[in-house]
Amino acid sequence: MNKVFVVAMREYLSAVKSKAFIITIVAMPILMGGGIFVQTIAEKGKDTRDRKVAVIDRTGILYDALAESVAFRNEYAIFEQPKEGEKVDDADEQQSKDDGQDPTEEQPVKPPKVPRQVESRFILERVTPDNGDEMDLVFTLSERVRRGELFAFVDISEDVINVGADGQKASIEYYSNVLTYNALPRWLKGATVTAIREHRIRAAGLDPHKLNLIVGVPEVEFLDLVSRDQETGEITAADKVNREARMAGPLVMCMLMFLVIMVSATPLMQSTMEEKTQRIAEVVLSAITPFQWLLGKLIGMVGVSLTIVVVYFSGAAIYVLTQTEAWQYVPVNMVGWFALYQVLSILMFGALFIAVGSACTDHREAQSAVMPVMILIVLPMMFWGAAIQEPNGALATWLSFFPPATPILMLTRQALPPGVPAWQPFVAALLTLITTVAFIWAAGRIFRVGILAQGKGAGLKDMAKWLISG
Amino acid sequence: MHAVELDNVTKRYGSHVAVNNLSLRVPTGSVYGFIGPNGSGKTTSLRMIMAILYPNQGDIRVLGESVGTHAAADDRVGYLPEERGLYRNLTVRETLKFHANLKGHQKCNGDIDFWLGRMDLKDWADKKIQALSKGMSQKVQIMAAIIARPELIILDEPFTGLDPVNTDLLRDVVLDLRRNGTTVILSTHDMNVAERMCDALFMIFKGNKVLDGSMDDIQADYGRDTLHVRLDGHDSPLDTIDGVVGVTDFGRYQEVRIAPDADTQAILAKLMQLGRVEHFELAKPSLHDIFVRIAGPDGAAAMDQTVRDSGVSHE
Repeated sequence: MNKVFVVAMREYLSAVKSKAFIITIVAMPILMGGGIFVQTIAEKGKDTRDRKVAVIDRTGILYDALAESVAFRNEYAIFEQPKEGEKVDDADEQQSKDDGQDPTEEQPVKPPKVPRQVESRFILERVTPDNGDEMDLVFTLSERVRRGELFAFVDISEDVINVGADGQKASIEYYSNVLTYNALPRWLKGATVTAIREHRIRAAGLDPHKLNLIVGVPEVEFLDLVSRDQETGEITAADKVNREARMAGPLVMCMLMFLVIMVSATPLMQSTMEEKTQRIAEVVLSAITPFQWLLGKLIGMVGVSLTIVVVYFSGAAIYVLTQTEAWQYVPVNMVGWFALYQVLSILMFGALFIAVGSACTDHREAQSAVMPVMILIVLPMMFWGAAIQEPNGALATWLSFFPPATPILMLTRQALPPGVPAWQPFVAALLTLITTVAFIWAAGRIFRVGILAQGKGAGLKDMAKWLISG
Repeated sequence: MHAVELDNVTKRYGSHVAVNNLSLRVPTGSVYGFIGPNGSGKTTSLRMIMAILYPNQGDIRVLGESVGTHAAADDRVGYLPEERGLYRNLTVRETLKFHANLKGHQKCNGDIDFWLGRMDLKDWADKKIQALSKGMSQKVQIMAAIIARPELIILDEPFTGLDPVNTDLLRDVVLDLRRNGTTVILSTHDMNVAERMCDALFMIFKGNKVLDGSMDDIQADYGRDTLHVRLDGHDSPLDTIDGVVGVTDFGRYQEVRIAPDADTQAILAKLMQLGRVEHFELAKPSLHDIFVRIAGPDGAAAMDQTVRDSGVSHE
């Protein structure tokens, strides 16, 4: 056992001392946050220069409404949102801005802190179509865009006001040389729609207030179930649930699990190939059995994976401690299962990586030989969405009993309310354990022959032969 | 007392017999040479002694203990394989510590310092293996094999790639080890080294044992059938002389093999007719010569014949 530990220590130290490990441990949060970090940086570096736009309003009635909307936007909607309170969903936010409703409904600018401007101001310029040459006008405006005097110009045709009536189609023509810029056309569309709607309401002689009463839509609010307090016997009120935040816990755990497998199990293939091709194997095998060696390598990597997790969990814990509200979203009860599944994953996949590494003599061979293992690892991620939607659906349930997928899928199902029947994680974990032992045994047999075999690399057929005949 | 005992050991790879019915005794405290051409079964035999490979038949006992089929070699055995490498990102000291620990030798710092000094690598102790020259890393490999104070040490081609200074150094180290009671099994292609250093020799050829015993015993088997001759200013072929069976030309002198009943006086007389004799010596055959006789083209053909005829090993 002591020798296994010697191997494990070497494997562990060589992994955590490598530059690759340190880079990965830094890079992982970036990946895990789904680029949130990058997004924030991009947000900060965003171009917030004024965008000047010329408007040819052929309806004669929309320009004023647009000017009003843009004035509102420039005053209230282009600044960083205050942090406190729940973040409003993006779509709603956009809608309410575009609607140009009562400004007091929006988060007002709070002195003394001046909010940072995060969006460009839009400056409108009215262009009256003179009855001259149409093409001339469009050309002149195009030239102004080219010279940089304008960012874009729009041509709102007369038909726009009747759009929708009797299948009437009409469009707003948006001219610019930066067609990838989204904010301006998006605002324009929203503002035009609102303006047209208000115009029609008035034209129909309706009371806008009454109409709002008719078309007003309620929000769906998500709540936990209500329960009775054991001591007082009172029925406690249900808590409001932030669904996004509730999903964040399982999401982060699964991403962490997936990345930890990728980061700690794959290097086993590299290190095994090094031991084989650098002819380190024979000396080591003069002191320990192949199986002890394999076990040592796996234990070393379990250590690496736990190191990563501890680093991130402590990071997360520090963050959570500063944000008392975040506590409710931390699936604390899942930590034990997480650790179990993670250790099993590293052992299970690590054994496969070692087997592949021992059979290959160069990276090209390894790349193709490792594909089946990679598919096994990625498989649960492909069904992860389904598991989130219906944690207890047939697909998610069955797949979570497929051992290579168990760690990620069962964990997801467990972490999502209402959870899974109590027996399921135990049975799945047992199945995974049995599979892990079988994989380690099989890898041991392949490793024993492969690590000393020189010459051309072995294919699946050879590996199968080694597995059977040893 | 024998450090290593092999009894009727056979190892097959598929239909190929790598080692055929091999029996062997390595006396404790000796330097024992393993010689044989490439691919003759040397490394396979050594790997079986190290319990890296398991024989299909036969028994192997190392330091009195039977080598099982699912155990690693004894911690009392050190091994320098022919195929050897080191972890490139470890330092020299870490490498030695790793190998010492792997052999169950925990408090090894004193030994590490001793050997670094002995092998003249003190300044390199904290350098990574990848920074070392080939010769230096070979010295580290040798140290790794002996760092855990083995009772038996197996060195497979330890001299390959070493310069003369380091060759001498390694020879002294091996002899020191023997003086301290360590049994050394040494495989080599250098017949001079084998002849001078080894107390006993074993030669394997095509999986069969063809020589086994002390240098004196082996030479006695072949008798005094060799002449070392140096003739000045003449290069007419010597193999035309009566009684000469074969000639090995070393450039500056010729090793002449004579028939058992040849008259050496007559041969000398004939040589004197051919040119000026600068050196004439009746000698036992060198190990090199014996090796070539067995493994050279003629010997190989004879060996194949013997194996075909009897199916048993030639001795």
